[in-house]
Amino acid sequence: MASDAKPPFRKLRGYAFDPALTLQLDMAPISTIVYKIPWEDAAAATINNQGIRPGPIGEYLEVIDYDPTVGKSYKPVDLNDPYILAQDGLDPSEGNPQFHQQMVYAVAMTTIKNFERALGRKILWADTWDRGTKKNVSRLRIYPHALREANAYYSPYKRALLFGYFSSSPADESIQMPASLIFTCLSHDIIAHETTHAILDGMHPNFNQPTNPDVLSFHEAFADIVALFQHFTFPEVLKNQIRKTRGDLAAQNLLGQLAQQFGSAIGNYGSLRDAIGEIDEKTKQWKPKEPNPDDYRTVMEPHARGSILVAAVFEAFINIYKSRVADLIRIASNGTGILTAGELPEDLVNRLADEAAKSADHVLQMCIRALDYCTPVDINFGDYLRAIITADVDLVNDDSRNYRLAFIDAFRRRGIYPKNIKTLSVESLQFKRNPSFGPKVQGMFLMISQFLKKFRNDIMDTKSRDEIYRITQQYIVGNEEQQGLHDQIVQQFDNQTEFENVTGLVLNRDWQKFGINESRSNKDYPAVLVHNLRLVSRVGPQGGQIHHIVVSLLQQAKVIVKNGEFIGVATNTKEKKRASTFMGGCTLIFDLNTLKLRYAISRPLLDTTKTKPEDRTLDKKRIEQQVRYEQDEIMMCVSDYSHYFGSGLTNGAQEPFAFLHRH
Amino acid sequence: MDKITHAEVRMYRMGTGDCFIIKMFKGTDNTFTMMIDCGTWKGSKEHLEPYIKNLKDYIREGRTAEPATIDLLVVTHEHLDHVSVFKSCKELFTADFVVKKIWMGWTENDAPTSADDPLGDQLKHWKEEYGQRKKALNVVADRLNSLMTDEKAAKKKSPLGLQPDFAVAVDRFAELHFSARGSEYIGGLAGMEVVKKEIATNNIAYVHPGQVISNPEGAEGIKFYVLGPPTSIDSIKAEGAPADEPGETFSHSQNNKRTDNDSFATAILNLTDPQLLSSILPFDESFLADETMSEYASESWRKIDYDWLNSAGSLALRMNSATNNLSVALAIEFADSGRVMLFPGDAEYGSWKSWHSIKWQAKDRFNDNKPLETKGLLNRTVFYKVAHHLSHNGSAKRLGVEMMTDPDLVAMATLDYDVISPGWTSTMPNRDLIADLLLRTKGRLIIMNEEGLSIDRTPEKQPLKDKILATRQQFMTSAESTAFHNAFSEGPGEEKLYYQYKVNAM
Repeated sequence: MASDAKPPFRKLRGYAFDPALTLQLDMAPISTIVYKIPWEDAAAATINNQGIRPGPIGEYLEVIDYDPTVGKSYKPVDLNDPYILAQDGLDPSEGNPQFHQQMVYAVAMTTIKNFERALGRKILWADTWDRGTKKNVSRLRIYPHALREANAYYSPYKRALLFGYFSSSPADESIQMPASLIFTCLSHDIIAHETTHAILDGMHPNFNQPTNPDVLSFHEAFADIVALFQHFTFPEVLKNQIRKTRGDLAAQNLLGQLAQQFGSAIGNYGSLRDAIGEIDEKTKQWKPKEPNPDDYRTVMEPHARGSILVAAVFEAFINIYKSRVADLIRIASNGTGILTAGELPEDLVNRLADEAAKSADHVLQMCIRALDYCTPVDINFGDYLRAIITADVDLVNDDSRNYRLAFIDAFRRRGIYPKNIKTLSVESLQFKRNPSFGPKVQGMFLMISQFLKKFRNDIMDTKSRDEIYRITQQYIVGNEEQQGLHDQIVQQFDNQTEFENVTGLVLNRDWQKFGINESRSNKDYPAVLVHNLRLVSRVGPQGGQIHHIVVSLLQQAKVIVKNGEFIGVATNTKEKKRASTFMGGCTLIFDLNTLKLRYAISRPLLDTTKTKPEDRTLDKKRIEQQVRYEQDEIMMCVSDYSHYFGSGLTNGAQEPFAFLHRH
Repeated sequence: MDKITHAEVRMYRMGTGDCFIIKMFKGTDNTFTMMIDCGTWKGSKEHLEPYIKNLKDYIREGRTAEPATIDLLVVTHEHLDHVSVFKSCKELFTADFVVKKIWMGWTENDAPTSADDPLGDQLKHWKEEYGQRKKALNVVADRLNSLMTDEKAAKKKSPLGLQPDFAVAVDRFAELHFSARGSEYIGGLAGMEVVKKEIATNNIAYVHPGQVISNPEGAEGIKFYVLGPPTSIDSIKAEGAPADEPGETFSHSQNNKRTDNDSFATAILNLTDPQLLSSILPFDESFLADETMSEYASESWRKIDYDWLNSAGSLALRMNSATNNLSVALAIEFADSGRVMLFPGDAEYGSWKSWHSIKWQAKDRFNDNKPLETKGLLNRTVFYKVAHHLSHNGSAKRLGVEMMTDPDLVAMATLDYDVISPGWTSTMPNRDLIADLLLRTKGRLIIMNEEGLSIDRTPEKQPLKDKILATRQQFMTSAESTAFHNAFSEGPGEEKLYYQYKVNAM
């Protein structure tokens, strides 16, 4: 009986925005909401690593409330305490660190669940090395009180979120703790934002290598998009505002204004949303900012550039919402489109809020799903648009509400065009599906597909994320009985021009001439990293099912660039030390229903216009662009802080996300 | 009474940092000599002495007065690169050297009295706040240093979460503010102390914006307009324009939000001067756990004991900018012609912006006798000492450089890559600023040392020197070119101890 009655959710109260909004009278009724997160049983004392313990420490997260600035720890909250259980968690309070722990746990778990729902699998954090072998990091660590600064960041080195707190007003006596502290760990948007950085790092660890102006912006913008639309999936927070602006058909403006309010309470976090709109000086009304098609070409600073992407996605969302509520407005206005004076009927408010929440959820899911369709390195906004469209076409056959067009139009209006695409349409933006190969290569793909099917069968019913990780690694690396995916790819596709053409990676006998290192496992072959092997099981709104396997390959060439010109590859150790690293990669998506390669989405190392084996060269143009960006342009668009304290953003030993937020 | 006919502005080339002598002449008679700052980032006494000896010879030149006499010394602000040489060559400044009058910013007054100083209360408050933070910067720089020198820590950098480079960078910022470093905070820079205690003879005036000093003895026909330091604390703290106001500053630097360092400073000071727990905790003591969860240390690479010290970077930047904004900024006008020489120290955006809210008790003869606006002074500027060594926030754009529209404009910048804090080379020079100044001055941009400077960061690195010469050829008329070459001179020999430019009153 008891096991059957296990609750689906654990309800935890928390701030809907951040504590500052509880002080605004009109927002007070919606300032707190109840987060519903998946239930985890109390930890059995005997079994480690299972269930939820004081901290909270659960399956995905470990909240450790050690405050290094005073060298003390705060008591951890026990979410299974009967009193706490009985009242949906602790009361929201700035003065109680245990509530802070509960808040970061609730919002981070909500974010994780949104990703898992969109991706159709369990998420894994970026793994680590332990004495020569790769090891899963089961839990993301969260330090709610780690810094005394208006900053919070994800540390890819510690697989941890560090939240800061700071004083909002100067102290009267400096040696005393200043009054009115602001805690970044109490803001829904900041927690969601930082958790997203961590999840994205687990999926695409190379997305913090700034090889073009979009890369740094993408991490920031994507994290902000998740925070924003996750916020909009709570209908409660929308109702109040929809009610207030009754009759105003431009309710979409209100959502834009609301989006900005969410972000503005604490420091820099709202800055990405400034591109959405502004208050008109004359009318004092908020109005959306007109997009400028030059922006994408001219704006380079990471935050400003990221805001272009945020604004594009937001505009798509607004148009989707508008189309979803058009009928409601017609019904409520007897077809006139003009609502009668007086307060909106409560039913209509509820329906509008539901539609807004639903639109937000769809946009959120589209944006997350697209991550599986991105190249593992050198992301740019144009390719991200292609990934969104392709992922959506795969899952949703009938785009009856024109979601895809809404996205394409919003990107187009900001000048974000994918390279080498002549016209913008749903068809042209999709990645090429089912590339065709000669019988030999086709046969190899069939073999690999079958191997991957076996992988799926092994992993499908595995609940434990540690176990999923272990099996995945085993399939990549192989064991005595079974050759791993890495060796299969490197050895079977050796000297297969067709494979090189589609991936843009170097897998021929002359690999040394391309500045590629030797493989660590077998010195006869070029180094290629299989850095992702992921199962995708999704069910679309029309019942369509997807069973895909996503594999990411990475390769790097050591290249020498002098005076802006690519003059050759580094061949010996000495040259390699001083050479630039040129990264290429390819995401292969296999369809387990057809046992075929469905997509090869690549950022080629090779110049793919030259298809004959004897003409092969590295992509000179991209090398030169990348080096110019890394050596020159990037310095024009970073903060003073980075100028003085960062020895170049590409220096791997620093906290990349801390720097972007620090000024 | 005769009026000043021209001035010679001499920039000593000791290394990145300011040291100027401005000699004013009535015809051939040198009747007034002023000095602005004397510092450089770094340099041994042996290296610096020749400069100061030359300086003393120069001020004696053509004047009978013994010993070497400065009519007016302006110490713009308390940064190493503006006052260090007063200390390193102290003997030369404390003997056979007389200063008649000294000007410093209102914040330098160590003994303000509310009664006769309208800024007294504000000053007291500022000193406390500013002093505590300076102290905190000193403590944290020390802490970082000792962590880095701890060998174990230096080798394993990831558990620390700190970079050796970072500690060095913070330390350099600390050095900029403090002379002798050690665990004890010992007050201001030694160079400043030398000026206040050994050079000054009860003759320091603390200036504040809005003051106009006309026709000092020997400098008849000259008006000094005090632009800065601002009296508003907010202006002092503003280092750059808000990000949503493009066109206010050069480059795309993002310093849009001022982060507050109070709670950080509190925790830092607690390290050396432990406080009551209740006064430094963010929560009630009852929430403290008896011990840290065992999970914390279970994976030591994930510990965060030192990461928070990285906030020292923001603290250092804030301190640096605030001190820059405390610079005495002067517009020196040849009253008859209205031509202005602008010496802003290292003022940053907040100071520049504040100049435009000054209510001058003066009329602008060159603008229909309307009340004088700071804009008018900038419009008439013919000589600009570039603030903060050509950095992006040293010169305001819309409210500064873009108002310098006089066709005679010449700019002089105290940047020298041979002697500079390594961290500075990334922001100095700012390319946009250089490009703008080159156009406005038609190439009459005089830089302390052009070696190593390029106009871009690409590997080709077109030397700035070439660009300057090309701009001069392209934009100056032959008359302008001749005039420029006649006005410009440099010190003899290989060393070229100084560059000098003659500014005419008419």
